[in-house]
Amino acid sequence: MSAGTGQPPGAASEVRVEDLSPGAAMLHRVDERFFAFEKLLNYISALVILGIMVIGTVQVIGRVAFRQPIYGYSDMIEQIMTVFAFLAIAYTQRLGGHVRMELILGRMSGRVLYFFEVIGTLCAIGIIVILAYYGYTHFLRAFEFGDTTIDVNMPIWPSKLMVPLAFSVLIVRLFIQLVGFLRLFMHPNEQMIGVPRMETVDDMAQAEIDAGLAGEAEKVDIVNRSGGPA
Amino acid sequence: MDELTVGILVTVGLLFAVFLGVRVFVAAAIAGMVGLVAMIGWDAGAGIVGTIPHSKSANYVLSVLPMFILIGFIAFHAGLTHSLFNAAKAWVGWVPGGLAVASVFATAGFAAVSGASTATAAVFSRVAIPYMLEYKYDRRLAAGVVAAGGTLASLIPPSAILVIYAIIVEESVGALILAAFIPGVISAIIYAALIIAQCWMKPELGPSVPSPPLMERIKTLPGTLPIVAVVVIIFSAMMMGWATPTEAGSLGASVILAIALVNGMKWASLQEALMETAKLTAMIFSLIWGVLIFVRFLGFAGLPEAFATWIVGLPFPPIVIMIFILLGYAVLGMFMDAIGMLLLTLPVVYPAVVALGYDPVWFGIIVVKMCEVCLITPPVGLNCYVVSAVRPDIPLGDVFKGIFPFFLADAATIGLFLAFPGLILWLPSLIGA
Repeated sequence: MSAGTGQPPGAASEVRVEDLSPGAAMLHRVDERFFAFEKLLNYISALVILGIMVIGTVQVIGRVAFRQPIYGYSDMIEQIMTVFAFLAIAYTQRLGGHVRMELILGRMSGRVLYFFEVIGTLCAIGIIVILAYYGYTHFLRAFEFGDTTIDVNMPIWPSKLMVPLAFSVLIVRLFIQLVGFLRLFMHPNEQMIGVPRMETVDDMAQAEIDAGLAGEAEKVDIVNRSGGPA
Repeated sequence: MDELTVGILVTVGLLFAVFLGVRVFVAAAIAGMVGLVAMIGWDAGAGIVGTIPHSKSANYVLSVLPMFILIGFIAFHAGLTHSLFNAAKAWVGWVPGGLAVASVFATAGFAAVSGASTATAAVFSRVAIPYMLEYKYDRRLAAGVVAAGGTLASLIPPSAILVIYAIIVEESVGALILAAFIPGVISAIIYAALIIAQCWMKPELGPSVPSPPLMERIKTLPGTLPIVAVVVIIFSAMMMGWATPTEAGSLGASVILAIALVNGMKWASLQEALMETAKLTAMIFSLIWGVLIFVRFLGFAGLPEAFATWIVGLPFPPIVIMIFILLGYAVLGMFMDAIGMLLLTLPVVYPAVVALGYDPVWFGIIVVKMCEVCLITPPVGLNCYVVSAVRPDIPLGDVFKGIFPFFLADAATIGLFLAFPGLILWLPSLIGA
């Protein structure tokens, strides 16, 4: 099972655009543009996390030192946390960051592998479409009834809206991925475009090394150094 | 079809999908959805399922996760790894295998600001191994101690995995955080004792290094103060309840961020750390609500109770069953990462463990320790792999040979916790008092 954290595998830098057919080039452009949008959403989520850190610090110092807690702190956190819970879901999908088990998949290749990737993507589209729809009705009820939080009466609907919004972005991402895998199913030897690459042990190790050596001057690049540890 | 049959069929279907590589959050959500719809119809089933992602995610308790993850990512920028190793070297370098023992205590100290086991092993490969090799330490010992020391990161709070366990089994996050402290320290002490014993019998493995004068030693301490600050913040908040885990995590992250900025962390690096935090957070939340959809279905099907009844009815003493459960985790851990493994198995395994009479907090610590052991055992042993990747002069085979004694030490540590549950439960029991 893997939860990748590296750069987008198969992203712009790795694709030889000049070798692509017009259709594939189009898919590549769509993938890149959409990834830029997903990255922006992840960035917003990241800033909210930073904000939560600042608010939490102010809250605890204010309460302990000055007996002056932030009004409605925990309600506020509960409402805003759906941003970082959901907004980066498509970005994570693009990078292959959602946990899965690659024990069997990792031994497949070519058409068989892409067949199972197509099936997996279709499964994801099916459930996320349902969840997006029912998430939307869940939001609509809160919006129409004007539901609010218990403590300080904040409206709940914005936080509930986050779910169908983020899921809609994920659905678009999954469709791009579906087209990508269908293309590979038909032409297994073509370049990988618009799909997360299978994560090798080297990729996992590289992500951990990047995190661990983030504060060090000298980095380690095992992917470009003939295949990791001996 | 009765409910239990539906439960078993859907669970088998879920495992099948996971083995075929469907993302775990997708597979779990589909399984829960299909099962609920089969039992209570489309409208009621889909209606329930549709509310779960939001209702389970908008939960204040979960907001501690990004704080703990963020501390972990920023801590690598704060220069703490070098300060810790220098301090540990100055204070314990004189014992047999002193630099290796120093590595253990430095990783244990760093674990107090990091939950990232493998990344910790990576950075200490850079910080500690060169010193050990310079003093002619055995290569395997040097690599083994760093790979093993890394595993302390998930055990010693803050660590996301403890929080995830607490959420899935609906235990207090604070209790888990407190419970993990003593086992983390004991693990470190057992590692240190192992090194001292090895190097005492075979001094060529790792010589002691002379201690600098007292004043020099004292000068190494200020560099480690941020760690002390974070430990004090998090543990005193949990013990005395002056802050929630999220608040304590926020304050801890602010302290570490301030140190990192002083240490020269740039906005670009902070952005990168934040982006990684956001991504990991999205991954964990997706898993949590996905698995909780499945858990809702399991409740309807009565599967956990049925499994617990079956387990309790087995003609073996609880300790034997517990050992088998732990061996099961050791095997699963070869193929799955820790978070995925825990989330998939706990909904069914946990009620059975409680029915056997084991304490939920105690089991949490044992299971997290098991997950850590899986990071140092073949076939992958990601910590070993990373050490060898950062130090290409130490082949993977040598790292595995070097880690073997630590693996035995871990087995002994788990045995110790099985025999004396009080080692884990004493600290959290104080908050009840």
